[in-house]
Amino acid sequence: MTAVEPDPLEILRVLERHRVRYVLIGAAAARVAGAPVVTEDLDVTPALDRANLKRLATALRELDARLRSATEPEGVPFPVEPELLTPAEIWTLTTSAGYLDVCLRPSGTGGYDDLRREASSELLAPDLTVSVASLRDVIRSKEAAGRDKDLAQLPLLRRTLEQIRDRELRRRGR
Amino acid sequence: MLSGDLLVEARRRAGISQAELARRSKVAPSLIGRYERYEVIPSLERLRELLRACGVELSFRLAAVDASDHDRVLIERELRLTPAERLRRGLAAGRAFGSFPEHDGGRA
Repeated sequence: MTAVEPDPLEILRVLERHRVRYVLIGAAAARVAGAPVVTEDLDVTPALDRANLKRLATALRELDARLRSATEPEGVPFPVEPELLTPAEIWTLTTSAGYLDVCLRPSGTGGYDDLRREASSELLAPDLTVSVASLRDVIRSKEAAGRDKDLAQLPLLRRTLEQIRDRELRRRGR
Repeated sequence: MLSGDLLVEARRRAGISQAELARRSKVAPSLIGRYERYEVIPSLERLRELLRACGVELSFRLAAVDASDHDRVLIERELRLTPAERLRRGLAAGRAFGSFPEHDGGRA
């Protein structure tokens, strides 16, 4: 029997089906914007109101979300409850559809409400439209996080933003 | 060209409005908006002053020109795709190469 590759977009479909309010962030958002970066996981920032966290918890249970672990390939089960989600900055998860990082307060940002302001709605599959953080906000967060892996990506992300702006300005006749 | 985006990034990191930045840097509030929208391009010196007013320093490094234009070509190729195609390719490459699990909150 052939193993079926996990489809990370299925994670987003489940979040949408449960009407979770979130913004796609991180390398996946940068890729959507046009930065040629590679990513294996999806990062999302959810709204932190209780009703939304309840919907998020339900979606995560449907995805069989577990804590990602270097020693446990299947992940470590944990109680996915709304009130348990909020104290952490990030949940690094493995799900039935692939890796998912739920980042409640990304560095250098004010979280969902801040990121939502400049996010765009993007059609990522015929049946899937998702709110995606702007490349500018991805850069802001990676700059603030200051980890080696984030800083290493910054020149490429800034270069992408620059080319996007150049295109826009050319279109505006500047 | 990145001056407008650098300014927005620095201002948001500082958590201040255009009006507050204008007050701190003693320029007209409308000018901050025009800088951010690329309607006016600030001089390098003016940009440094504005960024300092946001509490950050513009740092410099002279790097050799990438004669192969490798990144520019890659980015142009990406920009010709739809957002869905870009993400699909990015995730496929991630699966092929694998990526290291991330364990902290530094991203947006």
